[in-house]
Amino acid sequence: MTHAAKLALWGILLIGSGSLAQAWTELSPPDDEDHADVESVDPQTLTEDETHWAFRPLSDPTPPAVSDAYGDHPIDRFIAAGWEHRGLTPVATATPRVLMRRLYFDLIGLPPTPDQIRAFEEASRNDPDAAYSELIEQLLASPHYGERWGRHWMDVVRYADTAGDNADYPIPEASLYRDYIIDAFNSDMPYDQFVREQLAGDILAKQEPRERFQEQIIATGFLALSRRYATGPYELWHLTLEDTIDTFGRAFLGLTLRCARCHEHKFDPVTTEDYYALYGIFDSTQFPWAGAEETHSKKLPRMHFASLLSEEVEAPLRATFDQELADIASQKSTLEEQLASCEESEQDRIKKEIEGLDRKLTALRRPGLPTGVPGAYAVYDREAHDVAVQYDGDPAQTGDVVPRGAIASLSPEPLAIPPQTSGRLQLADWLTGPNQALTSRVMVNRIWQHHFGRGLVATPSNFGRSGSQPSHPELMDFLASEFIDSGWSIKQIHRLILTSKTWQLSSTDDASNMAIDPGNTLLWRHDRRRLSAEPIRDAMLSVSGTLDLTRPGPHPFAPMQDWKYTQHNQFKDCYESTHRSVYLMTQRIQRHPFLALFDGPDTNTTTALRTTSTVTPQSLYLMNSPEMTIIASDFASRLMSESDDVSARIENAYRLCFARAATRDEIERGTASLSDLLGVLESTDVPTEDREREAWTSYCRVLLSSNEFFYLD
Amino acid sequence: MSHHTHRRDFLKCSAAGLTAGLLNDRLCVAARAAGGHPLAPRPSHHPAKAKQLVFVFLTGGFSHVDTFDPKPQLAVDHGKTVSAEDLRNITTQPLLKSPFTFRRYGESGLEISELFPHLGTVVDELCIIRSLHTDILEHFQSVLAMHTGSATVPMPSLGSWLSYGLGTLNPNLPPYMVLCEHLPYAGSQVWDCSFLPPEHQGTRIMPGDEPIPNLTTQAKSSTIAELERQMLRDVNEAHAADRAGDPNLRARINSFHTARGMMQVAPQLFDLTQETAATLDLYGIAEADHTSFGWQCLMARRMIEQGVRVVELIDSGASGNWDSHGDMQAHRPMAKRADQPLAALITDLRQRGMLDETLVMICTEFGRTPWDPGPGRNHWHRAFSSLLVGGGVKGGIAHGETDEYGILPVKDAVHVHDYHATILHQLGLDHTQLTYRYAGRDFRLTDVSGEVIHEILA
Repeated sequence: MTHAAKLALWGILLIGSGSLAQAWTELSPPDDEDHADVESVDPQTLTEDETHWAFRPLSDPTPPAVSDAYGDHPIDRFIAAGWEHRGLTPVATATPRVLMRRLYFDLIGLPPTPDQIRAFEEASRNDPDAAYSELIEQLLASPHYGERWGRHWMDVVRYADTAGDNADYPIPEASLYRDYIIDAFNSDMPYDQFVREQLAGDILAKQEPRERFQEQIIATGFLALSRRYATGPYELWHLTLEDTIDTFGRAFLGLTLRCARCHEHKFDPVTTEDYYALYGIFDSTQFPWAGAEETHSKKLPRMHFASLLSEEVEAPLRATFDQELADIASQKSTLEEQLASCEESEQDRIKKEIEGLDRKLTALRRPGLPTGVPGAYAVYDREAHDVAVQYDGDPAQTGDVVPRGAIASLSPEPLAIPPQTSGRLQLADWLTGPNQALTSRVMVNRIWQHHFGRGLVATPSNFGRSGSQPSHPELMDFLASEFIDSGWSIKQIHRLILTSKTWQLSSTDDASNMAIDPGNTLLWRHDRRRLSAEPIRDAMLSVSGTLDLTRPGPHPFAPMQDWKYTQHNQFKDCYESTHRSVYLMTQRIQRHPFLALFDGPDTNTTTALRTTSTVTPQSLYLMNSPEMTIIASDFASRLMSESDDVSARIENAYRLCFARAATRDEIERGTASLSDLLGVLESTDVPTEDREREAWTSYCRVLLSSNEFFYLD
Repeated sequence: MSHHTHRRDFLKCSAAGLTAGLLNDRLCVAARAAGGHPLAPRPSHHPAKAKQLVFVFLTGGFSHVDTFDPKPQLAVDHGKTVSAEDLRNITTQPLLKSPFTFRRYGESGLEISELFPHLGTVVDELCIIRSLHTDILEHFQSVLAMHTGSATVPMPSLGSWLSYGLGTLNPNLPPYMVLCEHLPYAGSQVWDCSFLPPEHQGTRIMPGDEPIPNLTTQAKSSTIAELERQMLRDVNEAHAADRAGDPNLRARINSFHTARGMMQVAPQLFDLTQETAATLDLYGIAEADHTSFGWQCLMARRMIEQGVRVVELIDSGASGNWDSHGDMQAHRPMAKRADQPLAALITDLRQRGMLDETLVMICTEFGRTPWDPGPGRNHWHRAFSSLLVGGGVKGGIAHGETDEYGILPVKDAVHVHDYHATILHQLGLDHTQLTYRYAGRDFRLTDVSGEVIHEILA
């Protein structure tokens, strides 16, 4: 077998490259140690015993019997069984103050304020368990919870405020979908409903009652946000639908369906027919187009935005709009007739009038919806049709037409798709139905992952045979079953996890455990985690007193009539903001500089797991950037305004940054450092009245750059 | 607390007391000793001809038949129509002769057009590939393909793959530095590391006053900056003392030391006062110039000297580039800007004995149509030219041929994947073995194809 064949397992096919299918026929699985036992699979010949764990039906395991010392919390019993089996002794429970800071960042992505710290400490003194439970409830009820957990979902759905075409057109309406996600988490929308709305919200919206008409339409932003390529409307559309299908598979099922675009999936029971069955569903769906190359000479305006009004309300507005367009067109043809027969002296005036009407027409058509009709970057059904298999993923080489449907090997029977509909609703029903174990498993694993830094399955968007095995398969199924039994309540899973002793373990080291399980796969401690990009920025703004906790309005894009973006003059902007990072304008063609620096999401593809890098540009930014000076200076001003006493300011700073009291030594050393700084400043040209703030700015920059600020014990 | 350096001790130890060279040595030793430094040099797959790469990207698609691929028959048949399938979906088009004259240079007698007289003087160093082809004729996609091998879905850049495969030779500087005044098509995706670990990301260098951001302290004096570093170290050491054994905390403490190293090394990198007047003249750099393409080419040589693994130069952005639709004469100012500095870079590397171990690639995203009503030309992706220089590649040769008009390769066609495979090969890497597992499969720069062009290797 050639290297080329060995390495080309499946994937992204360049236009014109025809070698993949040939390579495919020679393939065998990769031979690294994690996957050495993986063999090619023929879904037709599997017996239940041989089925890959993730494709088996959900079991509902009973928590195992373990030593009484580990209590009776079901999660603890599953985890403790692993400890007992391997001879591990868990480390001690973390202190209330460590748990408090961990809870705040885990649930709302913000540090506790000094008042919140004091309130918790007081409550904790009276009844620690009650105080802890109360804090969980308080944070789950916070509107900032949805901003934190909505962002996790935005990673999965590759959220951006631009289209990704060659000019990276802005999509002002995208933020409606962002807000929908945040609201869904805050209201603890049942996850099955959340899935159904994102796939088929427009269809659900038309069913009675119509209470959530607009939200459900907006929800299909999940599909609408599929990556656009090239310049013209719907150009390279098969690649956009590849992104749709790939994101659909990885987000909801934890399956890498993309492989099946060009050949049968090498490891998982997914056929090329399955891929084009899904393709048919999405190809029967009308996606919006955000515009392109809008220069004066060449206009490709927005189109197919989804109306947020019901047909009855929209009809008169559309009629008025159509009439307006018709009136202008008729004025124009009258003028054109005049032009043909008028005096030469009149020609210029008439030409100018015609140009004026053209401009008016362009401006009216530009938003892609009739004037006065609010729209969403969302989808709706168009003429339903099945599609043919594309050989090698090449739309020019087609085979048999396959009926629209889901993945056959994971469906007891074919989807019953009414001929006139895309089938998205049936696909959503299939995904959230009683026979589909992957949907709940994948989501509880994501929740687990964001509480522990790693999922029970370490490859959160790949539950297939080339992904990782679960570290605790029974716990996985227990949680998935609990999830469904609770009515798909995400908040209920948070409660279950956060009340376990396992989650509450400290992050301390232990030599003998380390020797047995150095990777902490069996969770004998809580892994220390660096904050991700958004909490870093939000916490900095929060402690400096400048974070705006309100939800901002639309992004300050230039007015649509001024857009002249082309591939030569792409849309590129970065708006200043003091709002939470989840609200920053997100582009596909370039990343926000701060988020990029601290390992923010990839804005071009679904992100299951953020990396955590420690690179020099981060240190340079913290030490030397003008932005950090502003934040540190704001922080200094806050400390100075809240107290005149140096020790009190230092104590305040420690509470704000680290959610703990400063030690006596830290106060002494801080005091001495500040006095040194002031001493040095005396020999600079800094005016006397500014020196105190300068000294505190230095001190604050240090605290904001420190490991204790960046890491969660 | 013994692990704290006394807070006043730093006052005796100024930043200047620690020379960059010493720091560099210490870091190299530390990197080797630790073995875990993500950018520590890694062994190549086979003995490398070249240690480092200079990647010159001329944005917009320079025309092959007006630069490095002379087509006398195009002049003879000027205005005659050609018809063939897939001429941008237009079947009949008039041929358009080049408005530029070609002449032979050097011992090899290779022909180059009047646009590049300076490159003519180093023609015997050049390997001109005249049969390159790519898959899509859109700027965005083709720029991405030339950088990542993928014309569609963003993938890791060539520079990131090399950093991942080989590590760096100088931990005080990023392994992959990109001199780029204006964002190209596809934006920062062209130097993105995508799914490769983030330390392999290209670092954009902005020609101008602050080539690397945040190198200068905002503190009101260097003593205060030093005090801040000392305070940070104290705070972090105290924190780490209770959490002994956490390598992530230690790595982050170390990254501030490395940042100090970069603050000392980088300004020296950009300080041209050590360069002779003759060198500055060679590149055509005027006094106080720190933005011109000549300055960028000289910086490339200095970065290579400092051990940066990959230096990329992007000569222009998504507009004001080689995309001469309106008139081929628009190539003149573009060539005038690039010609002398590129020749100077090759000459300078040769004179310093560095060209043998440095591979220089000079390329664009696609060529331009040999047919057109004129006076400009459209995009053409099925044949275009590129240069490889030094790094164990034969000089004074042309590889591959296009037909009599330059429309299609007729001999030794070179796909972008072949081009990349050859570049990796010269740097000691087998393109089929340089892989990274992501989303369930092993990915590589050359996807599932690519053949090393052995004929051009010295």
